[in-house]
Amino acid sequence: MSAADASAARPAQEGARVPSGRPLTPSLSRKGRGRLRAGPWLLATPAIVLLVLFLGAPYVDMVVMSLRTAGHGTPYGTGFTLHHYAEALGNPVYLGALGRSLMLGAIVTAGCLLLSYPIALHLAKAGRSHLFFYAIVISPLLVGVLVRNFGWLIILSVSGPLNQVLRGLGLIDMPLRLLFTQGAVALGLIHVFVPFMVLPIAGALRKIPPDLAEASDALGAGRWFGFWHVTLPLSFPGIQAGTILVFVLSVSAYVTPALLGGQGRTFLSILTVQELLGSFAWPLGATLALVMAAAMGLVVLGFLAATRRLAERTAR
Amino acid sequence: MTEVRIAGLRKSFGGQPALVDVALEAAPGEMITLLGPSGCGKTTTLRCVAGFLAPDGGDILVDGRSILDVPLRRRDFGVVFQNYALFPHMTVTQNVAYGLRVRRIGAAEIASRVAASLAEVGLTGLGDRLPRTLSGGQQQRVALARALVIHPRLLLLDEPLANLDAQLRQEMRALIRAVQRRQGITAFYVTHDQAEAMASSDRVAVMERGRVAQFATPREIYQRPVSRYVAAFTGEASALAVTLRAAHAPDRYTVGLGDAQMEVPGAAGLSPGSRHFLMVRPQAVTFGPSGIPATVREVAFFGATQQGEVELAGQALRFVTDPNERVVAGETVHVTLDPAHAWLMPEAAA
Repeated sequence: MSAADASAARPAQEGARVPSGRPLTPSLSRKGRGRLRAGPWLLATPAIVLLVLFLGAPYVDMVVMSLRTAGHGTPYGTGFTLHHYAEALGNPVYLGALGRSLMLGAIVTAGCLLLSYPIALHLAKAGRSHLFFYAIVISPLLVGVLVRNFGWLIILSVSGPLNQVLRGLGLIDMPLRLLFTQGAVALGLIHVFVPFMVLPIAGALRKIPPDLAEASDALGAGRWFGFWHVTLPLSFPGIQAGTILVFVLSVSAYVTPALLGGQGRTFLSILTVQELLGSFAWPLGATLALVMAAAMGLVVLGFLAATRRLAERTAR
Repeated sequence: MTEVRIAGLRKSFGGQPALVDVALEAAPGEMITLLGPSGCGKTTTLRCVAGFLAPDGGDILVDGRSILDVPLRRRDFGVVFQNYALFPHMTVTQNVAYGLRVRRIGAAEIASRVAASLAEVGLTGLGDRLPRTLSGGQQQRVALARALVIHPRLLLLDEPLANLDAQLRQEMRALIRAVQRRQGITAFYVTHDQAEAMASSDRVAVMERGRVAQFATPREIYQRPVSRYVAAFTGEASALAVTLRAAHAPDRYTVGLGDAQMEVPGAAGLSPGSRHFLMVRPQAVTFGPSGIPATVREVAFFGATQQGEVELAGQALRFVTDPNERVVAGETVHVTLDPAHAWLMPEAAA
């Protein structure tokens, strides 16, 4: 389901844990060990082949393409050049778009986190009814991307329901221009990415042994003290997984920014597609895609490094 | 020093009664053990006292005042959990300091109290470790230090030794008892282990299906049980149905067992003519040239002792003898019962 579940798959037997000493299994004979090693590799072969063919190879192709010269009448030329990287990293149009994309990722991630945490808390506590709540949480994903965005187009349009309600309440005199703004993009992305934040956090919250909350209460801690010092830090593996997922997804999002975003100051994903499909400039498009991937990777690595201590302490 | 009185405590879960009518009291500085099999209501009682559960009826008075309206976090009770319930992301020091930080105590005082508490449980020098790097016994020591450092009015221990091996269990039992005595804390201790209950408490409450079957000192529980249930839970015992023939003193009776008669101590106030169970510990049974005839059903050699069962007047009786004594299954022996290890219980026999 998510990275959080994989990282926390060990049963929550807090009490019975004793520091692991020497392994209990007797050391295997050389022959036995060889057989054991072949097994997992054999099982992993289909997945490895799939990854190499459909992920590894295209990436290598992209890297090579980004180093090609621009072509005339063809997607790319025959020579090699670093010109596209200089363009991507030196042209303020691209740098601005990259900055806006990263900022959008940060805003969407923060918005999802704020919206999702209370939902996750509720889901983690919900008993019999939790399947129903899970269904509600993942409902944005059940609606196709176009239908969902046209829904937002209607709601946010100048004469749409949101403006009508705001005017009816007397909060505004003139209809607001809500559509084709960066705010509309953020709103649309938060809507669809909330499940990617809720599910890992709810998973992490579920794995917190209930007697920790009792221990906190018995020691005299109020609800907020206990939440801040026990529940929140122990749910961090879920926050970390959800944050990375939502950030990466929203920086690289294309359809929602294309439909809800404005024409002028746009995002790097839009420019990349324009280069690739509009201008037919494959080398520059590949370069922009790689720059975006590298920037996201750096942000994620920075986030992981900054939270390393907390993650190590709360990993289970 | 805290005094506790529990009266008429009731609690049911989904219509299933867990506590029917629990009455207990603890004098200041006393260690009370709640003993019983799982499902007898001992943990439910403790959780009601701690405040994790609200009882359906009855009252819990601490120093004469009901605590039922006092929220859990204002009760100032130290709780030690079976699974330790240490905060896994905090160091030992941070775990112990938690209750003090809640109370907004100054950093310097927190440091000194945590250090003192860790020293008391023998964990000096391990303050910077994370709980997962400690052994089970060390984790339980941290849990004990964390509960004690807030100077609780009451110490509540829920099967604190259940996850430890036998050697460690003895060590921890002694430590808990020593700390509890030294600080004079009134304590409730839940366990299903009768040896633990006997060795480390002032009084034991044996619980049976949501009620307190007997509440007395370990010695009295063992030597003068009120029922077969209590007798069986505190060690090996046989129960013989006997007819009460005559009462000599308020607590001495002549009873008839088949054709034989004997004089035994027993619960006060039983009336002649009624039938009751006579509790007989295995060590009360001796074989000799005279006595009540019985047939040996089985015998097993245990090294230091020889144990088995005889059939006496149609009823089973466990015995323990010197391993060198000749006892052969199927043969007839003559049984004498030492009244010092027998007790006529108030429980009526058919």
